[in-house]
Amino acid sequence: MIIVGMADSAVAKKPEKLTTLGLGSCIGISLYDNRNCIGGMVHIMLPSVENARAKDNRAKFADTGIPDLVDSMVKQGAAKHHLTAKIAGGARMFSFSSNSNLNIGERNLAATKEVLDKLRIKTIADDTGDTYGRTIILDTETGQLTVKSAQKGEKRY
Amino acid sequence: MRYKVRELTDMQNSALKEIINIGVGNAATSLSKMIKHQISIDIPELRVEIIEKVPEAAGGADKVVSGVIMHVDGDINGYIMMLLSEDSAATICKAINEEEDTDIHTPMNQSMLEEIGHILAGSYISSLAEFLTLDVKISPPMQTFDMLGAIMDQILIEMSQNVECTLFFDTVFVLEGKQMEGILLTLFDPMGMDKLLGRIDEMT
Repeated sequence: MIIVGMADSAVAKKPEKLTTLGLGSCIGISLYDNRNCIGGMVHIMLPSVENARAKDNRAKFADTGIPDLVDSMVKQGAAKHHLTAKIAGGARMFSFSSNSNLNIGERNLAATKEVLDKLRIKTIADDTGDTYGRTIILDTETGQLTVKSAQKGEKRY
Repeated sequence: MRYKVRELTDMQNSALKEIINIGVGNAATSLSKMIKHQISIDIPELRVEIIEKVPEAAGGADKVVSGVIMHVDGDINGYIMMLLSEDSAATICKAINEEEDTDIHTPMNQSMLEEIGHILAGSYISSLAEFLTLDVKISPPMQTFDMLGAIMDQILIEMSQNVECTLFFDTVFVLEGKQMEGILLTLFDPMGMDKLLGRIDEMT
């Protein structure tokens, strides 16, 4: 099992599994090429690199992290037109009235969908929003994404 | 920003540690009074962590914990969090309720944990503020049971827009001789850290 950290990404081939832990308002994007059995995962924290002060880590942002992941998957033998996406996270864990980042989960989600649309990658499963955390596991053998939560059980996509 | 948390002098580091110890000590005393059981909180270790690494440093992003979060504002802006493992939360609830067994998910126990977090954070922050003569307030607490990473990522996201690293310290709660896993975590924004360290420099 390859663990993808916060603001991190990885690519794996059959029969390896990829996981990212404890997604709250962050989003875990898993891409899969079912012909070549190659999977990729990125754990983004913010919608865009544009206004960020520290831009070094491209995996932190939806608009750089997702295209970079596609590139490295293609480099490792995936075909871009075979890629499909399954996404999870984007929850709203807390709402502080004084907080300007209220809807960071929603903003991350909107940006993720926009980037995937631009790349012409179809989102075939979406377990997002609500108010609880998620851990995801992608099985590169089958492309199945397992979404685990602390109190809402486990789902498979 | 005048100060970088990565580049603290030994003097600043030990002064910070001392101030945190005083705060944590006061917090433990108020909590002991409230729950009528002796609680001590062991000396924290002060570390500097990259924001993205905080969930791992705090025990793992998928670990299920009871988290109480409060917003800190005034002269210092940031967040303070109390994170207890499910076992520790249960130990505290049992001690207070004087029960053999307890369900930590009941509304009663949840609001009790929330209040404990609030008291700890409140006395910690107010002793810090008093010592440094800063004006700092904390918001009402919010409590949840979830994965540690999920509980804190919204806050880490907010912090990561301004800073790369944060001061991080672990604490060990000791309830009547029993050690409990628990973390009191503070994340201050860079301006707040500047004020805090500026005050320390003035004093030393």
